[in-house]
Amino acid sequence: MIDFRNLSRRRFLELSGATGVALGVSGAGLMRPALAATPLAPVAEEDAVIAFGYVGPTSDEGWTWQHDQGRLAVQEAFPKAKTIFVENIPYSADAGRTFRQFVSEGANMIITNSTYGDFIYDVAKNAPETAFLHCDDRTLMDNMGVFYPSHWYPSYVTGVAAGHMSESSKLGYVASFPVPSSFAGSNAFLLGARSVKPDATIQVIAINSWFDPQASTQAARALIDNGADVLFGIMDEPGYLQVAEQRGKKAVMLNTDSRKYGPNAYVSSIMFDFRKFYVDQVRARLEGKWVPGQFLLPFGDGTDRDAWGETVPAGAAKAADEVREKILGGWNPFQGEIKDNKGEVRVPAGQSMSDNDIYNWNWSVDGSSGLA
Amino acid sequence: MIMNVMLDVDRTAASGVAVQPIVSLRGVAKHFPGVIANQDVDFDLLPGEIHALLGENGAGKSTLMNILTGIYRPDLGEIIVDGQPVTFASPVEAIAAGIGMVHQHFKLVKAFTVAENVHLGWSETPGRISRDLLEARTAQIAASLNLAVKPGARVSDLSTGEQQRVEILRVLSRKARVLILDEPTAVLTPAEAAELFKALRQFAARGNAVIFISHKLDEVLEISDRVTVLRGGRKVTTKPTNECDKRILARLMVGQEVVLSNMRERKPGAKPISDAPVLSLRNVSARDDLGNLSLKNVSLDLRAGEILGIAGVAGNGQKELSQVLTGVRRASGGEIHVCGKDLSSRGAEEFAAFGVGHIPEDRLHSGLAPALSITDNVVIREYGKAPLSQGWMYRPSAAAALARSIAEAASVAVPDFKMPVRNLSGGNQQRLVARREMRIASNVLVAAYPSRGLDVGAINAMMSYFTELRDAGVGVLFVSEELEELFKLSDRIAVMFHGEVMGVVDSSQVDVETIGLMMGGQRSLEAGSAEEVR
Amino acid sequence: MSIRIQRVPSENMAGGLAARLIAIVLALSIAAIVFAMSGADLGKLGAHVFKSTFGSRFGLMDLGLIVTPLILTGLAVTVAMKVGAWNIGAEGQFCAGAIAATAVALFVPGPTILVLPLMFVAGAIGGMLWILIPTLARAYADVSELITTLLLNFVGALFIYYLATGPWLDPSGLSFAATKRLPHDVPGFWGDVHWGLPIAVLLTVALAGVLNYTRWGYEVRIAGSNPAAARYAAIPFRRHLIVVMLMSGAIAGLAGMFEVIGTTHRLQGGISNNFGYIGIMVAVLARGSAIGVIAGAALMAVILKSGIALQTQGVNISTVLALTGLILFFTAIGDELSHYRIVRSKPA
Repeated sequence: MIDFRNLSRRRFLELSGATGVALGVSGAGLMRPALAATPLAPVAEEDAVIAFGYVGPTSDEGWTWQHDQGRLAVQEAFPKAKTIFVENIPYSADAGRTFRQFVSEGANMIITNSTYGDFIYDVAKNAPETAFLHCDDRTLMDNMGVFYPSHWYPSYVTGVAAGHMSESSKLGYVASFPVPSSFAGSNAFLLGARSVKPDATIQVIAINSWFDPQASTQAARALIDNGADVLFGIMDEPGYLQVAEQRGKKAVMLNTDSRKYGPNAYVSSIMFDFRKFYVDQVRARLEGKWVPGQFLLPFGDGTDRDAWGETVPAGAAKAADEVREKILGGWNPFQGEIKDNKGEVRVPAGQSMSDNDIYNWNWSVDGSSGLA
Repeated sequence: MIMNVMLDVDRTAASGVAVQPIVSLRGVAKHFPGVIANQDVDFDLLPGEIHALLGENGAGKSTLMNILTGIYRPDLGEIIVDGQPVTFASPVEAIAAGIGMVHQHFKLVKAFTVAENVHLGWSETPGRISRDLLEARTAQIAASLNLAVKPGARVSDLSTGEQQRVEILRVLSRKARVLILDEPTAVLTPAEAAELFKALRQFAARGNAVIFISHKLDEVLEISDRVTVLRGGRKVTTKPTNECDKRILARLMVGQEVVLSNMRERKPGAKPISDAPVLSLRNVSARDDLGNLSLKNVSLDLRAGEILGIAGVAGNGQKELSQVLTGVRRASGGEIHVCGKDLSSRGAEEFAAFGVGHIPEDRLHSGLAPALSITDNVVIREYGKAPLSQGWMYRPSAAAALARSIAEAASVAVPDFKMPVRNLSGGNQQRLVARREMRIASNVLVAAYPSRGLDVGAINAMMSYFTELRDAGVGVLFVSEELEELFKLSDRIAVMFHGEVMGVVDSSQVDVETIGLMMGGQRSLEAGSAEEVR
Repeated sequence: MSIRIQRVPSENMAGGLAARLIAIVLALSIAAIVFAMSGADLGKLGAHVFKSTFGSRFGLMDLGLIVTPLILTGLAVTVAMKVGAWNIGAEGQFCAGAIAATAVALFVPGPTILVLPLMFVAGAIGGMLWILIPTLARAYADVSELITTLLLNFVGALFIYYLATGPWLDPSGLSFAATKRLPHDVPGFWGDVHWGLPIAVLLTVALAGVLNYTRWGYEVRIAGSNPAAARYAAIPFRRHLIVVMLMSGAIAGLAGMFEVIGTTHRLQGGISNNFGYIGIMVAVLARGSAIGVIAGAALMAVILKSGIALQTQGVNISTVLALTGLILFFTAIGDELSHYRIVRSKPA
């Protein structure tokens, strides 16, 4: 068993990015080791059904669109296999019904792009022959692996750029729910900015949705009204970028290159690419080699920043890119001492946070307000 | 001018020279499931005439007019306008052909002004409008038609008579040559009615024609040039009005000699009038829905076996009186005794339990639940008693049986008891309500305007119901604005004015003029002298 | 011979049913034409939808799970309609019922057999409390319950978000916008279908019976149809209004209770799945008949479940929603048309 916390990112990349080696995880009591001793039986390509369950619409030009690019890559790599998908799956009992429908249609592998908790566990328990890849989750089962992009590294990098660009030293973050990806994103962004401007702060507003242009627009207006001049968020649509454009502020986006919605405000975007990962996972499943594990799409290979926006000063871009190179070279930016926003030291000096710690982040760093 | 027109009509009728009718109906038939609404109806409307359409409720008047105005299409027969056969696919086409109707229930937007209502849904309304423009146009049209309206007033602020004028203006502004009015005077004061008649005569005198639907015989005789009588969906006859009198018209309408006799006569074996009152009021006061004192210190006695008429112009406290007497409205002061028992502060339930039946003023709004079935409606007084209820159980089958027997007693043919009661004609609704109330009225029946909106046949049925109750020893309180009815039926008449009783008089010893004076606020002789003594 | 169409005042039962069937067939035919034009294999698609709904055990189980809350929310709206009130707030009462039942599950220790009835009662009371203010406002101040109940829906949904991401957040850290898995479960009735389904059906039948076969039910009908007639007949309109509206809220609350305890097992945002709003559609389809609610809920359940099944066949979600709308649209037209009949008459 490999201790997740001791893995370097490079090592992680080698292990997970290539053929999908299962990682036994035993972090902080939050993760269970992989239970599967034997992989699921191989499936002939022409018999294979690979199902994708999406939280949003494939037309969102964001998160779900990116995942659907992954599905299309799978279809291209295995033309005889059948891929099916359902969009807009709510976080309700309807999700369970959708996954059961997948199973009943003979899905050999089900991949989601959001976390569905019990709704997917209950189905997985009763479908031992189906492999599940559960996005943004922490529970491993005999037939269920979890995956997520390590978005906090590019978030830190763009945070450095934001630190250079912010005049008010106030940043804003449009969160979905108070979940770890919101904590990790906003914390990493602020830590990046504080590496440049130690007095920088970030205000977070959670809108209880991943996709609600109206709510995200309102949240963005409120953040700018409170003085924020660089916005970031975890939205699947470009609402807050458009607000930043109108108000002459800056914004860092997620998922895709969305500079066309706000060419002046656009700083960069946290970009994801699931194609290679999905193809590898499906191949392992078809060949009878798939075992569950926790997979993080590593920085530089499936997770990265987008090309800098037109209005980003060369100096800011250069400083941020130097940090990027450093991280790619193995440097961990999440180093102690890190205090939470109540003043308590959470990471003592000399220690650093592992990917696992960050993946399960559930507290706000000093200078962040609004989330918890 | 009016005389000229009438002479024209007479001459054509006499000489046989055909004046081309504006509108003719030939062999029109309209059937509804189980009902012949119209059959073989021929009808000519001549230019310059006011043509009354007379018939009982359910005689087919409304259906015929709905055919003429394009709401229904006839199953058989044809409509001829200016000599050309036409078919109307919708009311819009009928209006385009110059045929417009003013319905009994106005179809105005109350929140809009008069000018806005006149221009609503009108192809000639200008594309660019302003308030001033619409009001100016309205004033101009109104002046040209000699109709006095206030273009800028909101319809909700207008009196009923004024609203009716707006409706007429709306129709006439669309260049109508044929104006159909459905019971136009039912909602008007006598003065307003006189004004309406004047306007109608002027309109007809310009070569147009009016169809005047009514079952008030006096009116028909007063206003119309010719009268067509419908009965059972068929045309009985068309006659020049000057050849008719009330008796002839009534006979044509109901198909039999109407008993206009004095109904105060007791049948042999009828119970005598009791000495002790079955219902007595002492200084009763009550407020209306707006909180105004609309019943002031009323004292009345109703004895068993007598019919006490309540006369007065509507709105002088009669409604509140009938509600107070049945527990629907609480009295704000005074005492009410039924059979000696003080029910002053009791509700409708206790009054019903003490044998007080109630035919309310507005049956559709308070006496019935229009959307519910006939069965549900006719058992509303007895649903809580055996055999309809046993304990908390309600038995629909027993309710249906009771509904059948009430409908039978009321001589109402009901095709389907599950049908919403609003689908029945007004006369049939009222018969059912009356029969329903008679069943519980073991001591008192309070009947508020029971003949309103009914035809002669239904009114006679009502009257006979009341005498039947009276002869059985029940006290009947009969509220009406028709003096003729009151005299025909009541043993005594109490006259109300501004919430007070002007006096109670014996109907055999008083004339119409005296009652009329009391309705205008004059106290009766006794009351007057009592005041002088004070 | 000429053929005419006439409107008749009362619809006949058989005609109404036939009109509905024709409506569904028509909507499906139009959908079939659209699918065929886009090159789909209709036979395969149809067989797939059938297999995913009635044609398989798991399809039937899913239908059972969807129909349970729909019967209850549809019943809640229908019952309120009986007394002349529009309860647009079944969604909010659903949330309140779920919250109340969750509170009991989280904080009342004890064996399921004892806690379950408590959760049942709590769910009903939760829904009742949620409609209490709109009820009193309507009864005593004549404030339209349409607005007040609707607005409380948003409050209910947000309150769940607050609880599920705040004070009641799963302490294990394994879920981030939900409570911990609740320690109790509504016993299974058939496979995954829990006892909520038979209870919902029983409740519907019982209420239909109460409305038709009790004095109280008769009084409610009169009061709901015409308050003035109720006053005239000494039927206490206000009392019936309050009792029935509270009942309506309680039933919607039960829907929330069954959903959280029987199906999702955690309180979390989005749990209501729009069941409260779909309940309004169910009530409209049922046309005021309590028994009709079961049929209306079943139709909606089949539509919703078919929607999921169609999506896996590459049918776009927008198409599925359009198809749903089409069926409801045609049903509404069919309802109106069932008031007409065709007559043949000979020309003169």
